[in-house]
Amino acid sequence: MDLGFKGKVALVTGCGSQIGFGRQIALLLAKEGCDAVAVTDIIDDVQKTADELKKLGKKSIAVKGDITRQADVQSLVKKVMDEFKRIDILCNVAGGMANRVPFQDSKPEDWDKDFHLNVTSIMLTTQAVLPIMRQQKYGSIINIGSGSTRMYGHGVGNSYAMSKSMVDTLTKQTAFNEAKNGIRCNCVAPGPAPTNFLPGPNKEEMIGMLAKSIPLGRGATQTDIANATLFFASEMSGYITGAILHVSGGSVLD
Amino acid sequence: MDLGFKGKVALVTGAGSQKGFGKEIALTLAREGCEAVVVTDVVDDLEQTAADVKKTGAKSLAVKADITNQAAVEAMVKKALGQFKKIDVLCNVAGAILQKDFMPIDTQNTDTWKKQMDLNLFGMMYVSRAVVPQMREMKHGAIVNIGSGSTHQFKMGVQVYAISKYAIDLFTKQLAYVEGKYGIRCNCIAPGPAPTNFGAVLREGQQGPPPSPEQMAKMREGMMAEFPLGRMGTPADIANISVLMASEATSYITGQIIQVSGGNVME
Repeated sequence: MDLGFKGKVALVTGCGSQIGFGRQIALLLAKEGCDAVAVTDIIDDVQKTADELKKLGKKSIAVKGDITRQADVQSLVKKVMDEFKRIDILCNVAGGMANRVPFQDSKPEDWDKDFHLNVTSIMLTTQAVLPIMRQQKYGSIINIGSGSTRMYGHGVGNSYAMSKSMVDTLTKQTAFNEAKNGIRCNCVAPGPAPTNFLPGPNKEEMIGMLAKSIPLGRGATQTDIANATLFFASEMSGYITGAILHVSGGSVLD
Repeated sequence: MDLGFKGKVALVTGAGSQKGFGKEIALTLAREGCEAVVVTDVVDDLEQTAADVKKTGAKSLAVKADITNQAAVEAMVKKALGQFKKIDVLCNVAGAILQKDFMPIDTQNTDTWKKQMDLNLFGMMYVSRAVVPQMREMKHGAIVNIGSGSTHQFKMGVQVYAISKYAIDLFTKQLAYVEGKYGIRCNCIAPGPAPTNFGAVLREGQQGPPPSPEQMAKMREGMMAEFPLGRMGTPADIANISVLMASEATSYITGQIIQVSGGNVME
C-alpha cells in the first residue's frame, strides 16, 4: 500500500531510546517515503536515530531538548521549520511512567510528574505545530496513548494511566477543533512492549508473564505500534479522526 | 507498506453492489497482493465484481448466495474452499437497512426486526462459523466486520438497524477474545454516511416527489456542516482501513471497533 508520504516532513518526539517506539516510527516513516524526518529527545542517543535515518538516504535532524519546557519546544519547531519548511506529520511519542509511588503514598508532586511528562509535553508540541499545519491546511497528528487506561489493579501507575486518559481526550478535542483546518488527530494505545518503559534487564521475561492473559498470546513489538502510527499519519486514513486504536493483542476490548 | 498478502485468499461478502464497500474492499485486497478473492452476494452484479478483480491479475470466484440462508452460506464457503483450499481473510460486508426512523415501540413490526437481525447479524454469524474452523486449523486468520457509526448516532433515526450493528461490535470483541489463541484476529470497521446504495431505503416511502438535485445538494451541505472533516466517506476510505486490518501489518490488533466517520463519532 502506497502511504503517500512522498514530499512529506515528519517530526517524531521520544526518538532517543534505541529500543523504543519513536525510533521505529521515524525509521518506518523514512522507509515508506517521507522526505525528511526530524527527531527529538532529551537524551544524546537521539543523534544515533538521525544518523540511521540519513543512512536510509533521507534528510533528518536530531534536536536535543526537553519537550516539557515551552522554550525548548519553540526552539525545536523553529529548527525543523528552518531546515525543512513544513511539518505534515507530528508523532507525539515521548512519555513514560514518571511516578511509581503507589496511590496511597503519592503526593501531589508525584502525580504532577506524570501529567507533566505525558500531557504537558503533547500540549506544547501540538500548540507549536498547529499554526503551521493550519497554514498548510494539512496535517496529521498521532499521539501515543496507553492500554493502561483500561487496565486496573497494578498497584502503581495510577497517575500514568490517568495522564494517558488525558491524552485520549486531548486527541478527540484536537481532532474536533482542527478538522475544519484539514488536520486530523488520532491516538495509538500500545499494549505491553519490551521498551524502556519496563524497568530492568528482564523485559522479555516480564512480557512473557503478561502474555498469558493476552488473547493473542504475545507482547507488542515496536513494529506493531509503528505500523498503526504510520497508517494514521497517511492519507489512507483520511476520513479517520479522533480515534483511539488499541494495539494490544486483544487485552483491551472496550 | 507491504501488507503481506502474497499467497493469501480472501472472502468478501456483500460484494455485488458496484458502488458499495464490498467491491472496493475486494479490489483493494487484489491490488495489494492477495492471490485470490472470492466474492459473494445475492445480486447478479456480483459477476461484474469478480471480472474487475480478475483485471487486477488476482484470481477470483463469484458465488451467488443468500446470506440469510445458512445452508446456502455453507455451500458458498465449501465452494470457495474447494477452489482455493483456504480462506485467510474474511470480510463480512453484507448488510442493509430495512427500516428507517425511530418508531414508538408499540407500533414496531416484529417481522421487520427479525428480518433486520437475520440479515445483519445472523448472516455474519453463518459466514463466520463456516470459515473459522479452517482458520483454527491454519492457526491464523483475519476477520473484518463492517459495523456502523449509527450505533453512536441517535439522530440518524435508525433503530433496529443500529441495534443489529451494535450486536456486531460485541460479536467482533467476543470472537477476538475467544479465537485469539488460534491466531485469529477480528476487528470491526464502523463507517459513517457514504454515497453507497444504502441511502435508498432511507428515502423509501417518503411523501411527495423525490428531491431535486439542488435540494439534494442543499441537504447534503446541511448534513456535512455537522461533520468535523466536512465531507462524506468514500468506499476507498472504508476499503483502506479494512484491508489494513486484514493484513499482517496489524497482526497485534484485535477486538477493536474503528470509527471511520470523519470525526463524527468519537466514543
